[in-house]
Amino acid sequence: MKPLAARPWLTGLIIPVVLGVTWELTVRTGVMTGRLMPPPSRLLDSAITLARSGELGLHVAATMTRIGLGFLFGAAAGTLMGVLTGASGLAMRLLDPSIQALRAIPSLAWVPLFILWLGIFETSKLALIAMGVFFPVYLGVLSAIQNVDRKLIEVGRVFGLSTTGIAIRITGPAVMPAWFAALRTGLGLGFMFVVAAELMGASEGLGYMLLDGQQMGRADTILVAMIVFALLGKACDSILVAISVPLLRWQDTVRARL
Amino acid sequence: MTKLAINHVNKTYADGTEALRDIRVHANEGEIVAILGGSGCGKTTLLRLVAGLDRPSSGAILVGGEPIEGTHKTISAVFQEPRLLPWLRVAANIEFGGQLLDTTERQRRAAALLERIGLAGYGGRWPRDLSGGQQQRVAIARALIGHPGVLLLDEPFSALDPFTRASLHQLVLGLWAELKPTILMVTHDVDEAVTLADRIVIMRPKPGRVHETMAVDLPRPRDRLASPFDLMKRRVMRSIDRSLAEDLPTSPKPLGPGGTSPWL
Ligand SMILES: Nc1ncnc2c1ncn2[C@@H]1O[C@H](COP(=O)(O)OP(=O)(O)OP(=O)(O)O)[C@@H](O)[C@H]1O
Ligand SMILES: [Mg+2]
Repeated sequence: MKPLAARPWLTGLIIPVVLGVTWELTVRTGVMTGRLMPPPSRLLDSAITLARSGELGLHVAATMTRIGLGFLFGAAAGTLMGVLTGASGLAMRLLDPSIQALRAIPSLAWVPLFILWLGIFETSKLALIAMGVFFPVYLGVLSAIQNVDRKLIEVGRVFGLSTTGIAIRITGPAVMPAWFAALRTGLGLGFMFVVAAELMGASEGLGYMLLDGQQMGRADTILVAMIVFALLGKACDSILVAISVPLLRWQDTVRARL
Repeated sequence: MTKLAINHVNKTYADGTEALRDIRVHANEGEIVAILGGSGCGKTTLLRLVAGLDRPSSGAILVGGEPIEGTHKTISAVFQEPRLLPWLRVAANIEFGGQLLDTTERQRRAAALLERIGLAGYGGRWPRDLSGGQQQRVAIARALIGHPGVLLLDEPFSALDPFTRASLHQLVLGLWAELKPTILMVTHDVDEAVTLADRIVIMRPKPGRVHETMAVDLPRPRDRLASPFDLMKRRVMRSIDRSLAEDLPTSPKPLGPGGTSPWL
């Protein structure tokens, strides 16, 4: 067997495995009932049951649709506004103060107003998620554009690029790493807000599962929903990273060299 | 024939810094003119004006008799740092300099230049994987791919070791002999100026002014070990010493042979 040092990722598994096994034994030997904190085997059972019945799939689909649409709208709006304010001083002076003022409002404070305006159903949920995604993406894109190396812009000018040419061939690629970083932050916030949106009233979705589990006193349902949230979040983030890797291969960073 | 004329150019920055005062420099077609001066005497400022990246406060810069307005398709530059675009591979960086060429010609020239700068086979690499000297070679190739009429060099060798610098001098001279661009280069290295230039313009700081213009009448290829080379270097150094001695910031003096300063 290879030593642990040769597979560093195994090290990270030690604590969860030890805790899981200990808890499993504690419940099996009857020391604890595990009603509020079901052991891994019971979680697995619940997950399989929920998946078999199609219930889990339904909730995952509902949540992912919300996240997907909300992220798409929020990221598109954040990118567009970031590009607009980054490209034009007038747009910057005109729009940025208002956007910053809106950002000062904690996003969850919008919930009542969104419900009042848009109703309790999908639209208000999407609006909340999109808003959560919007701000980090907007800020990331704007600051990235403002921080593009003037020296590289000058290279574009000396070699005869038009303003549009510079935007496409210099600013665009230069902003790419920060854009992906902002999208990842936005996605993380999107997941946070989808939970909030689904907790505020939904008939399906992982957030609904959380609430349902609480009301039914089913800790296993809650934990399954939480674990599925974690897996989905990680998977979506990995997809973003996978998309970015070929585009950012040029970067002189530790990650690019792995 | 005069290719590049810098006529009575003044530059005062927005913050009130007077960077250049009454600069007059002329470069003939295919000539190499070196601007020699210490740090802060406005060399980069002057090159930025010629490149069209900034505008003079007064005076005019003519290329082929035409005043320049902004950047100009016949003027190309190598900067103090390589400034390669990190997201383009080496060959694409060279091709970037040939915006006006059609694709096949651009690729053909880039391949030829890669070979010429001793980096054949490096075209697919990222700039980050090249040494500083190699990056500067790529920057030179990028500046020359479009066959510019005027090439500006802003101390492109100053960050390099003497070995690399000498080999880049040979590279630049070789490419210059092939393509014959007019070269306006900035340096603070007397040896470099005498090695490369047909004419040396010595500048003084605060504000940046032309102290003296000297012709370098040494045949090419120049023998850096021969005594005429040393003699020329000594003349240049003597002029620098004089400029330092006379450097009373507020007393203007006649500029160049027979030239009268407008302040007198
Ligand atoms: N954008 C600017 N705004 C204000 N002052 C400037 C600006 N750029 C340069 N200066 C000033 O103009 C003067 C000349 O600067 P410049 O960079 O042209 O010098 P240089 O001869 O190229 O020096 P070095 O050899 O160190 O590169 C300096 O006093 C500098 O502080
Ligand atoms: Mg400089």
